[in-house]
Amino acid sequence: MGDLTDPFQFEFFVRGMVAATLVGVLCGAVGVYVVLRSLAYIGHGLAHSIFGGAVVSFVSGISFYIGATLWGVFTVLLINAVARRRQIGGDAAIGIITTCAFALGVALISRHGQFTRDFDAALFGEILGITSGDLTVIGGVLVLAAAVVFAFWKQLLFTTFDSDVASTYGVPVPWVEALFSLVLAATVIASLQVLGATLIAAALVIPPVTARLLTDSFTRMFALAALLGGASGLVGVYVSWFINVSSGATVVLLQGALFAVALAWAVARSRWPGTGSGERLAAIEGAAID
Amino acid sequence: MVELAPSAPGHRPPPHPDGEPLVELSDLSTGYERTPVLRNVDFTLRRGEFAGVVGPSGSGKTTLLRAIAGQTRRFAGAIKATPRAGERALRLGYVPQVEAINWNFPLTVGQAVLLGRWREMGWRPWPRRHDRELLANILDRLGIGHLANRQIRALSGGQQQRTFLARALIGDPDLLLLDEPTSGVDIKTRHEIMHLLGELNRAGTTILMSTHDLNAVATHLPRLVCVGEGALIADGSPEDVLTPEVLRRTYGAEMLVLRRGDAIYVVEHLDDAMTGESEETPLPATPVGG
Ligand SMILES: Nc1ncnc2c1ncn2[C@@H]1O[C@H](COP(=O)(O)OP(=O)(O)OP(=O)(O)O)[C@@H](O)[C@H]1O
Ligand SMILES: [Mg+2]
Repeated sequence: MGDLTDPFQFEFFVRGMVAATLVGVLCGAVGVYVVLRSLAYIGHGLAHSIFGGAVVSFVSGISFYIGATLWGVFTVLLINAVARRRQIGGDAAIGIITTCAFALGVALISRHGQFTRDFDAALFGEILGITSGDLTVIGGVLVLAAAVVFAFWKQLLFTTFDSDVASTYGVPVPWVEALFSLVLAATVIASLQVLGATLIAAALVIPPVTARLLTDSFTRMFALAALLGGASGLVGVYVSWFINVSSGATVVLLQGALFAVALAWAVARSRWPGTGSGERLAAIEGAAID
Repeated sequence: MVELAPSAPGHRPPPHPDGEPLVELSDLSTGYERTPVLRNVDFTLRRGEFAGVVGPSGSGKTTLLRAIAGQTRRFAGAIKATPRAGERALRLGYVPQVEAINWNFPLTVGQAVLLGRWREMGWRPWPRRHDRELLANILDRLGIGHLANRQIRALSGGQQQRTFLARALIGDPDLLLLDEPTSGVDIKTRHEIMHLLGELNRAGTTILMSTHDLNAVATHLPRLVCVGEGALIADGSPEDVLTPEVLRRTYGAEMLVLRRGDAIYVVEHLDDAMTGESEETPLPATPVGG
């Protein structure tokens, strides 16, 4: 039994596990809105674009977190504005704006030459290198996201479902969009150290889509996505210790496995005649929440 | 013999020429992005009215409704609304065209309807007892009380229309804007929806609805607006508006208008042999159109 508790004697490991759990909850919950707006790749793009913001703030000497957050909010608002033009889809808007923001970072690096430090972590994540300062930031962003989602639950839901009609019913849509952009940018920044740019997309998309397969209710989808994200963060990092695989990759592979199970189950369910949809729904909820 | 006067609920209630103006469009040009879709529209809707908007596909029916709902771009002219005493904005109930709704969204009927009350629900994300009672009442009144936990796709066309009608009604609107509320439903459901709207109107709700259905819907409304080629072609009672001349200018096609007492019947697809004949032409054995 000693083997299984082995990793807990290392503070850096415990910190990594806590960070991965919090980031999993955060990305799962925020990802619900991302997925329902069909902006699946925004996480991936944003993570790269924030790399540009990181370099810019480094060069201009302002704090990484402030510089990158402003940069990220600006990028999301720009994506929103471009995607609203009917000729350009959301995916193309993400592609254009985030790659340009990334390229700007690369250009600045090659011009200033001397620093390669830290940016590797931003691209690939370094769960076991999390400091208690990082953990504070992650906790702070989680509290911010929770507060925004709680206080603006209805406005966010209405805007995500149908922003035009939401404005007719009095929802201040531009403000809601700006607030959501802030939360999304902060989420990606807080997750960078843990998952890295390449894995953030997965953490934002896989748990919400898995949750969508399991329920037709928005509230349940939200709760399930946060739960699946957090659980896969916790279990993924723990397991990675024993199988000696990169923790970020293990977390995402675990999420992928959960998705595959949910998909198989959803397919099986749809081929299974004779169960009423009400009973099936009850069965899903029982299985998913217990 | 074809029945000329399909029994309509509240068969053509009187117009309200004396009601106070609720919405006034004056010389309004409105549309999307760069191009106005409707030009120089003058249109006043008075409290208590029940008006219909007809016109071919792409003529701007939806645009007219969305302009009043504040969802379009204004190029010139003005929209003036008169809210009820003590309120800053008109309370609108907007029911979008079926095609405009994202049916895959994970929303249950209850969740969708409560969006219409987001403001009155206060800061809580969840509905209070009063909200739930109101929800139950309105769903029961529309005959979909047993469907509160169904996902919005898993409904019949009539049930879907009622769901979004419920979302509009739960906010206690001054003005109901309905975009083709009778499209895609059978005769009986159409009859029920029109009956319901008639009742709401008699109880004081002002209604503006678009429709493609000249005979079963438009001829029974007290007031009709014809939209064609981006402008209002005619506005008045069905007797005044439904003439071959106006219909030709609205639809760009020859149509026959038959009158029997109070009833009006528009024959929508004429073959060559029938064009140009007088209004006394006996009806064909099988009615066409509708
Ligand atoms: N979001 C939009 N952006 C740009 N143009 C649009 C938009 N929506 C509609 N249009 C254009 O405006 C014109 C009027 O469209 P509208 O939807 O108002 O027609 P409609 O009368 O409601 O048609 P239908 O009967 O098919 O619903 C059309 O030419 C359409 O192409
Ligand atoms: Mg339309």
